[in-house]
Amino acid sequence: MTENGSSVVPVVRLTLPARPEGVGVVRQALAGLADAMALDGAILADAKMAVTEACSNVVMHAYGDTVGELDVEMLADEHAITVIVRDRGSGIRPRAARNEPSALGLGLPLIAALSDAFEVRGGPGTGTEVRMTFHHVREGDPAAERPIIGGPGEDGRWDPEAQPEVVEPGEQPA
Amino acid sequence: MDARSITVDDAHGDVLVIVIHGEQDIYTAPALRERLEQGLGAESGLIIDLAAATFLDSSILGALLEARRRAHDSGLGFAVALGETPEPGVQRILEITGLVPVFPVVGSRDEALDKIRAATAAGA
Repeated sequence: MTENGSSVVPVVRLTLPARPEGVGVVRQALAGLADAMALDGAILADAKMAVTEACSNVVMHAYGDTVGELDVEMLADEHAITVIVRDRGSGIRPRAARNEPSALGLGLPLIAALSDAFEVRGGPGTGTEVRMTFHHVREGDPAAERPIIGGPGEDGRWDPEAQPEVVEPGEQPA
Repeated sequence: MDARSITVDDAHGDVLVIVIHGEQDIYTAPALRERLEQGLGAESGLIIDLAAATFLDSSILGALLEARRRAHDSGLGFAVALGETPEPGVQRILEITGLVPVFPVVGSRDEALDKIRAATAAGA
């Protein structure tokens, strides 16, 4: 299999029930692959976080009350690791999920800030694919290029407009 | 002890400490929320000790932010202790979300205790 002339083959392909306990399994697989590729520890930490958020989105939002499948593919070459997370449901567009406390809504901003490149494809009805690439050698910090803005909102979700409120411990916020 | 355990340390009297170990994500978030509920019963403050944590996702941040808000609403002090040698999987998410000054995040558990005690004394 070739892509842009360089050899990129799926080295890990996982299909798991889209349940919370599966997300840690995906992280373990990624850590194993990163170890084999001698990926830098800080980049692995970013990759684990971005991939966790993509998988959590599938678990929390893709299938409503039914349990569908979480598909993960990891591709590696000498330059980068690419992780593709797919669902076959309504995908990453946030909506009311199971009767769990509402998500913070930071998944996509974190994926953008922690990956060197990312792409979201698909939508309601067709399933969603999130593709994230992590370079072995970074030119800069993606979190500086695509910073996370805002702060915690009144409703418990992340508010991109919010000015974070800083208080001393024990002090009442104004 | 479970590698992903969450325990409540009540050895500091009026301040309760939630001690978080290992990797925490949407699988362990419900257990954390239960412990935080317990922690919010503290008399004057709540500390989240992350020194032994190795990974946090956004669902854990959400649970911690909610606990922080509820602590403030009931006049409790709140602080997060990162430890002296934080793991990138913990430090990075706190830094890029700008939440270090918000929680606030301090170094050691003792530092967090001092901050809460000083604020309680100043407010009294």
